[in-house]
Amino acid sequence: MKLGNYIIDKIFSIFLILFCYFIILLLLLTFQVMFSLIIAITFVFFSMVFSLFFIDYFRKRKFYNEFIHNVNLLDKKYLVLETISKPTFYEGEILYQTLYEINKSMAENVKKNRKEVEDFKEYIEMWIHEVKIPISSLTLLCHNHKDRFNKTYLNQVKKLDNYIDQVLYYVRSNYTEDDFIIKKVSLEKVISKVLLKNKDDILENKIDIKVDLRGIEVYSDSKWLEFILNQIINNSIKYKKENIDSFIRISAKTMKDKVILSVLDNGIGIQKKDLNKVFRKSFTGENGRDKTKSTGMGLYIADKLCKKMGHVLEISSTHQESTELRIVFGKNNFYQVDK
Amino acid sequence: MKKIMIVEDEKTIREELRDLLENAGYHAQIIEDFQNSLEEIKESKADLILLDINIPNLNGELLLKEIRKESNVPVIMVTSRVGELDEVLSMSYGADDYITKPYHPTILLLRIQNIFKRMEQKVDSYQYKDLEFFPSKGILKKEEKEIELTKNEMIIFSYLLSNKGNIVTRDDLMTDLWNNEEYINDNALTVNISRLRSKLSELGYYEAIETRKGQGYILL
Repeated sequence: MKLGNYIIDKIFSIFLILFCYFIILLLLLTFQVMFSLIIAITFVFFSMVFSLFFIDYFRKRKFYNEFIHNVNLLDKKYLVLETISKPTFYEGEILYQTLYEINKSMAENVKKNRKEVEDFKEYIEMWIHEVKIPISSLTLLCHNHKDRFNKTYLNQVKKLDNYIDQVLYYVRSNYTEDDFIIKKVSLEKVISKVLLKNKDDILENKIDIKVDLRGIEVYSDSKWLEFILNQIINNSIKYKKENIDSFIRISAKTMKDKVILSVLDNGIGIQKKDLNKVFRKSFTGENGRDKTKSTGMGLYIADKLCKKMGHVLEISSTHQESTELRIVFGKNNFYQVDK
Repeated sequence: MKKIMIVEDEKTIREELRDLLENAGYHAQIIEDFQNSLEEIKESKADLILLDINIPNLNGELLLKEIRKESNVPVIMVTSRVGELDEVLSMSYGADDYITKPYHPTILLLRIQNIFKRMEQKVDSYQYKDLEFFPSKGILKKEEKEIELTKNEMIIFSYLLSNKGNIVTRDDLMTDLWNNEEYINDNALTVNISRLRSKLSELGYYEAIETRKGQGYILL
């Protein structure tokens, strides 16, 4: 609250008071009052007016300055009412009371919305568990009756399963605070699960797999990590280059304060202009349009999950040559509570 | 014959699962009415239980708790829930393994096999006719003659041996190899099998591994 602005705001009152003073002055002069009395009246008059404005200004200044200051400091600005003391003047009380009402109604609104999202999320999770059952049946049926259902059926079922997982993890990455458990995870085990899942695709596409993980362990949620790696490996298979000996190299190295897991392939790569956009939602670059239909969700969700767990997902690529995805795990002592 | 109890409320799954297990040489029993699942499980005297978490009446986790009160029978929890928490919980209730739906049938069989292997008296060697097989050292021995197997050959031979007399598909072998973190391709599998064959021939078993066209291999 600035004095200048306050005076401008009160300019009408000030003019009125000055006008009033002139009338009094005129009256006093007309009645030929003693000059010293005029001085005394002027003095009393102006000191009264001045102190009225002065008191008013400082009362309001105290409240509004605190109010503005706190709003600026706060990250969640709607909580400002909790941080200020109740005003002692009428306008302030009106403001305070109204803000309180607005806040309350907003809180109710947000709560209602949260509940809806929570219900939706719960329903999706439940639905996913339900739909996994027929998928399971199909997998078993395909396996038990190979004469009737060949590999094509199983591959389609697997695709279905992968898309369903994408929904599950999309919901988990967007609508839950902390649905994961960080514990020690062996990279070899997770990679083995992911590769087994994609075994048929890898063999069919004649992709050579090299894994060099040297027993390295990281702190992560194994299920989430499995999903993330599955998206990465899926992409490597999907965007392989024709007519060359394709490979996927999976390696890890430990550094002083981090572990880096790298998945490198010699696929079609990504154009430079697309590279920094691949983690965006629904982004399908040239590759996504040219090669196969792509939803552009896989890497977006993977990146989100990484961020939630405090890992960093990085990408580098040379167009028409190679793509490397790296997950950087922090070696934070914070997680090692079990020791 | 080992007896496996299947506790699963989805009809198609439990019946297909029974076929799968019976084809793999186990005796499989299913529960159809879940009113007295605990009693039925106790009476069955099964060697292993496949327990689904979402079953009517008493859910899988509670059932597992009850089972653990009086028996140490191996239990593999099966669930369609995908979460670390469920797994940690199940393991803390005393499950021996945990597998999420949809699982690869061969992987399930491998997990079952592993549990049975762990339970058996620790043996370092298996017998194939008059050959002795030491998986830990990767050695095939006939009287004084020893032949070393590579890790891949060893995995293949172990798998064929534990399914002796049954047809083993290339896919099964591949799954077992990949499950053991040996990510080889089709050609390499063929090469490994022919090397294994020639090693067996050296020990006098010329036609031990037979090829069944379009189906797979069989160890006679």
